Amino acid sequence: MPGKTPDKEPVENGGYRGGKPKPKGKKTAKEGDDEMTVVVPPSKKQSSAPPPNDADGDVAMDEAGDGEAKVDPVVQTVNDIKSNFALLDRAVALFDARFSLRALRSISSIRKRLTPDIVAKAISETYPASSPSAGAAKQLLAAIGRSDVALGRQPGTEMEVDSEPKAASPKNGSKKEVKEIIPEIDVFFGIVAQVLLHDTKQWQQGLEYSQALIERIQSLNRRTLDSLSAKVYFYYSLFAEQLAPQPPSPQSPVVSIRPTLLAALRTAVLRKDVDTQASVIVLLLRNYLLTSHISQADLLVSHTQFPENAANNQVARYLYYLGRVRAVQLRYTEAHEHLVAATRKAPSSACALGFSQTATKLLLVVELLMGDIPDRATFRQPTMEVALHPYFLLVQAVRVGNLEDFENIISQHAETFRRDGTYTLILRLRQNVIKTGIRMMSLSYSRISLRDICIRLHLGSEESAEYIVAKAIRDGVIEATLDREKGFMKSKEVGDVYATREPGEAFHERIRACLALHDESVKAMRFPMNQHRLELKNAQEAREREREMAKEIQEGDLDEDDLGGDFEGM
Amino acid sequence: MADRQLHTLVTQLKSLPPSTPFPETSSLLSRAKLLLLQLSALTPSPSTPPQLLALARDVYEAGALASIRAKDSESFTRYVSQLTPFYELPSSVLPANNSERNKITGLRLLLLLTQGLYSEFHSELEQLSSSGFVVEQDKYLGYPIKLERWLMEGSYDRVWKAMKKGEVPCEEFGVFSEILTYQIRSEIASSSERAYPSLPLSSTKSLLFLDSEGAVIDFARSRGWVVKDGQIYFPTAQEAEAGEQQDFSQMVIENTLGYARQLETIV
Repeated sequence: MPGKTPDKEPVENGGYRGGKPKPKGKKTAKEGDDEMTVVVPPSKKQSSAPPPNDADGDVAMDEAGDGEAKVDPVVQTVNDIKSNFALLDRAVALFDARFSLRALRSISSIRKRLTPDIVAKAISETYPASSPSAGAAKQLLAAIGRSDVALGRQPGTEMEVDSEPKAASPKNGSKKEVKEIIPEIDVFFGIVAQVLLHDTKQWQQGLEYSQALIERIQSLNRRTLDSLSAKVYFYYSLFAEQLAPQPPSPQSPVVSIRPTLLAALRTAVLRKDVDTQASVIVLLLRNYLLTSHISQADLLVSHTQFPENAANNQVARYLYYLGRVRAVQLRYTEAHEHLVAATRKAPSSACALGFSQTATKLLLVVELLMGDIPDRATFRQPTMEVALHPYFLLVQAVRVGNLEDFENIISQHAETFRRDGTYTLILRLRQNVIKTGIRMMSLSYSRISLRDICIRLHLGSEESAEYIVAKAIRDGVIEATLDREKGFMKSKEVGDVYATREPGEAFHERIRACLALHDESVKAMRFPMNQHRLELKNAQEAREREREMAKEIQEGDLDEDDLGGDFEGM
Repeated sequence: MADRQLHTLVTQLKSLPPSTPFPETSSLLSRAKLLLLQLSALTPSPSTPPQLLALARDVYEAGALASIRAKDSESFTRYVSQLTPFYELPSSVLPANNSERNKITGLRLLLLLTQGLYSEFHSELEQLSSSGFVVEQDKYLGYPIKLERWLMEGSYDRVWKAMKKGEVPCEEFGVFSEILTYQIRSEIASSSERAYPSLPLSSTKSLLFLDSEGAVIDFARSRGWVVKDGQIYFPTAQEAEAGEQQDFSQMVIENTLGYARQLETIV
C-alpha cells in the first residue's frame, strides 16, 4: 500500500467501497465521477475504457463499475449552470428573492470549473437562435471571446440529468424552443461571464461588458432582478479597481465609474431595491476610500440611509468602511462600535478570513487609540496569529509605554502597516505611548522628578516633560499634581474603582448589547408567507369539529376512544 | 487675445512683491479670473489647452497666497477648492509644480489645525499619504504635521520654538503664529489649572511664553485666577458632588427599570 503519496486517495476510496457491498446507485456514480476529475483527465466519450495505469487495480475496478452512469465534467458544469434556471424561474413566479440568492450562491461552486467553452456551450444550448433575447446571447458570447458559437444547439442526451427530469430529452429540447427566456437568466449568464472574465484577468473586457450589462439591467426594471443586479455592480467595480492606473492614483478608472454607481444608487433607492442599494453604497464607500476621499465618503454616509434589512455580509462591509472613516476623523468611540459590530458580523467561514483579519487589524489600532489594551486572546486565534503579529508587537510597546520600542516597530513594519492602511493611524499612537508611560510612572512612584520622566520616556527636554505631564493631568490620564519650583510630580492616592460609576456603566453596556442581540435575532426570524392564514383556517376547522363533537357527546353516541383518535388527527 | 492678456497678468501677479496691499492684488486677480471665464478655463475640462491650465493654476495659487497674507481664511479656502481639480490632473496633461502645491497644501493643513478642525486635518493627511508622498520629509508639509503631533502630546515648548523666526518654512506660515500662540497659551493655562496647586508669578512668565510679569497678571485676571503675594492661586473647582451622586442613583434606577421592562417583553 502506498503511504503518503499523492495517489493515496483513489486507493483508499476504492478500498472503502470494496469493503462495503453497496449497490452502484446514482450517488456512488457521482462520487466516482468527482473522484475521476481529480485523478484522470476527463474523457468526453462515455466509454468504460480503463485508464493506462492498469496496474492500479482499484481504480480500474472503480472505473468499470461506474462507467455507465459517469457524466462528463463539462456536461456536468453546463448542467449545474442550467439547474439554476429552475430556481430563477421560481424566484420570478413566487416573487421570492431567496431563490435568486440560492442561484447566486451556487456560482461559487461552479466557478472553479468554468471555461469559456463551457459557458459558450451552456449559452448555445439555452438560447434558440430565434428567441427575442438572442441579441443578448450574442453579446454574451462576444464578451467571452466565443462569438463563433452558433445559438440554438440541441442539447445532448445528458439533458436527462437536468433539473427538469419529467420531460424526456427530445421533448425537452422542443419545449425550450417555445418557452421565452426570462431576463433573469440573461443576467445570470451575465454574472457567470463576469466571473469568468474576472478569473481569467481580462479586466478591460470585463469592464466594457459590465457597462453594457448594467445598461441592460437599467432598461429592464424588474423587481426580481434586484439581487442579481447587486452582484453585477459588484463585479463592475471590481474590474474598474484592477485596471491600470490602480488606485490611489486620481486617474484610476474607479473615479470614472462613480457617476454610474451614484445613478444606480438613486434608482435603487427610488425603487426600494434594498439589495442593490446596500451593495452600491458599500461599493461607493470602498471607492472613495481607495482614493482616500474621506470627506466625500463621510458626506455619502450622512446623506444616505443604509437599508436596515440588507444582507448580513453587506452590513458587515458597510460597518467596516464606516469604522474606517470614523477612525480617520478621530471619532474613535464610533469607529470602535462599528468595527466591533463588523468583526462580529463577519462570516466565520474560512473564505471570509481576509475580511475578518483586516477588520480586526483596524479594530486593534482603534482600541489602542482609545487608550485600551486589546485582549490577549485575539492574537492567539490560529487563523489570525501570523497576520496580526506586527500588531501584537505594537500592542506590547504601547502597553509598556516604551517610546523607543514603539518607534522601532513602526520603522520595521512600516510596509505592512502601509499596506493595511493603518500607518497614519498608528503614527497617531505616539501620544498614547507617552501617556501610558506617564501613567505607569505615576502608578509606580509617589513622587518622581521631571528630569527622570524626561530621561525614561526619551522626551526632548524637562520643559516638554512638564507640559506633557500637565496635559496628562488635565486629560484625566493620571491623578497627580506638579510642583514647579522643585520640579517633581506627586501622585495622588488611587481611589477604589468600585466606588465609581465605572462598573455600573460596564454592566449596562453589556446588558444593552445582549438585549440588542435578542432584538436582532427576533427580527431576523423568517416565516413562510401566508402561513398564518392557513393556521387560522385550521383553527376554524378545529373549532367547528369540536363543536360537532360536543354536540355528539351531548347526544351520547361517541365513546372516548373515538374522541382520542380524532384529537390526534388534528 | 484674451490669452495673451492673461499671460501678462500672471507675470505681473508673480512679480508683485509680497508686501503689496491686498486690494491691489485682488483687483489684478479678479481681472485674471474674468479672463479665465472668457476662455472657459475656470475649471479644467478635457478640451482645455495645457498652457491655459498652467496659467489658471498660477492665478489660483497667487490668489491663495495673497489671501493668506491678507489673513482672509475664507477666500483662501475658496482658492484651494478651486485648485483641487487642477492638482488631480495627470502630469501628462499638466506638469506638476510640487513645491508650490505643497506650500499651499501645507498652509491649508495649518489653517485647519488653527481652526481646530482636526478631523478634516487628518482626512487631508490620509489623502496625501495615500498618494505616495513622503509627507514628513517635505519642508512645507512636514511643518504642520510636526506641529500637530507636538500639540497632541503636549510639547508646547517645541511648538513655541518652531514658530520663531527662521524656523518657519516660509513667511506665509508665519501668519498663523499669532493664532497658534494664543491657542497654546490657553491650552497651557487650562492644564495648569488642574496640575498645579499654585504657581509663582516669575516662573509663570516663562511657562506661558509671556514677555513681562505685568502681562502675566493681565492674563491671570482674564482667566479669573487669584494673584496673591507673588503667587497665582487657581480657583478650585468644587463641583456639586451631591448632585452627581443623585444623578448616579437615578441612572441606576432607570437602568434597572429598563432591564425589567425588557425582560418582561422577552418572557
